[in-house]
Amino acid sequence: MAKFGPKRQGPRSDIPAKLGRTHRQEHLNLTTTHNGHHRPPPRPPRRPYPPSLIPTHPKHPLRLGPGLRHVPPSSILPTVAGQLIVNPHKTSMWIESNGGRYTPSPSDLVIGRVLRSAADLYYVSLSPYTPPASLPHLAFESATKKTRPQLAPGALVYARVSLANRHMDPELECVSPSTGKADGLGPLTGGMVFDVSPGFARRLLLARSRDEGGVEVLELLGAEGVAFETAVGRNGRVWVGSESVKAVVVVGRALKETDEGRLGGEEQRRLVKRLVREMR
Amino acid sequence: MSAATATPLAIPGQPLGSTSKYQPGPGTHIHQSTLYSSLLGVVHIVQPAKAPGPVKRLNKIAPASAPAELPTISVSRSGVSEKREVLPEVGNTVLCRVVRITPRQAVVAILICGDTVLDAEWQGIIRVQDVRATEKDRVKIYESFRPGDIVRAEVISLGDQANYYLSTARNELGVIMATSEAGNTMFPVSWKEYQDPETGAVEPRKVAKPY
Repeated sequence: MAKFGPKRQGPRSDIPAKLGRTHRQEHLNLTTTHNGHHRPPPRPPRRPYPPSLIPTHPKHPLRLGPGLRHVPPSSILPTVAGQLIVNPHKTSMWIESNGGRYTPSPSDLVIGRVLRSAADLYYVSLSPYTPPASLPHLAFESATKKTRPQLAPGALVYARVSLANRHMDPELECVSPSTGKADGLGPLTGGMVFDVSPGFARRLLLARSRDEGGVEVLELLGAEGVAFETAVGRNGRVWVGSESVKAVVVVGRALKETDEGRLGGEEQRRLVKRLVREMR
Repeated sequence: MSAATATPLAIPGQPLGSTSKYQPGPGTHIHQSTLYSSLLGVVHIVQPAKAPGPVKRLNKIAPASAPAELPTISVSRSGVSEKREVLPEVGNTVLCRVVRITPRQAVVAILICGDTVLDAEWQGIIRVQDVRATEKDRVKIYESFRPGDIVRAEVISLGDQANYYLSTARNELGVIMATSEAGNTMFPVSWKEYQDPETGAVEPRKVAKPY
């Protein structure tokens, strides 16, 4: 969860305005972003990438991220529609795709809604029309049979995916398995949850979401003096909590309009100014 | 040595012969010293094994006529003699294919019982505590079986109406054939890993010790 508040934050002048559009789905020629990733043009499906696009390094093997498949001996094929990103520094390549559907993968942070309680686990829905994930009753920090949190159907919970594969229903946990501490996981009380696309949620979860993800709305709203906290679920849900209901609504609207309108940096600044003016 | 000869059909209640001439076999019954057929089917007469030669000891008293000398008459439905349905029993070693896995059990379809290929697939369950003999509480089904694996298991219980209960808790029981995520047949490299020869990827399974 991230807390935002009225802190002084001047505009960053070293980032050119066009980088606010890094994740737009527009037709790009080979451009290089400031951190060295470069984007080849889109290609027809089922043809392997030419070797000129594949980064090589004498010592480090090539690492393939989501959306790519290696067919021995040497062809790399895309498996989803999206933009190929190549990072020559880490000799890795992957596909950024925003399919609208979230597929669970281990150690993802997600926001789930409790459906019902069974013998010794909760059934938690991560996305509609998919089998629910299971969250054991005792997978909370310092939980015993007598002192565990009682979650009613409809409650929100911030959890980590512990097991996810295509043969079984996913499993969640609200406690870190190695340390036994919650680290911000657990039930979410108050506030409101907003649905965004999974690709937007991924950009929000990046460590430097302003630079790499191009999402500034949350920081801008905090700089304007709105006090709120957020929890971002990789499954396309963002929980916003605040003491004032207006703040929750403003933050939710900002997120949804940024996601649906695919706004760039300048447009996000204008949106934030407009929303804050309406709020006051 | 025995010879089987097929004769025309018999209907239930049809007299087949006298008990002084034939021995009763499956599908027949005796009523007042006459053999009657119980089923609608083909009549089979099986000649007995060849009687042993004369006894060497001349002063031994032997019964006049041994009962095994009479041919056995039987009636069977399908026309093939003596075909009985084979069912898995407790203690049999079976080969099965994993159909579905859940965190608590693996659902399998039993294909082969002993050496016989079964006509119908029977459903079986391998519970998580029956996968291994040691550290039963730390077993993860996803690291022991995957859907599509062929598993050698032992029947431990006839179970309920829906399932047999099976166990792989011995060294020579477990996965004998597995396919990797890339689609290639894998080879075992240890008691808990299979390796894809083409991509080199290693996948965890509960591996059966090869004979």
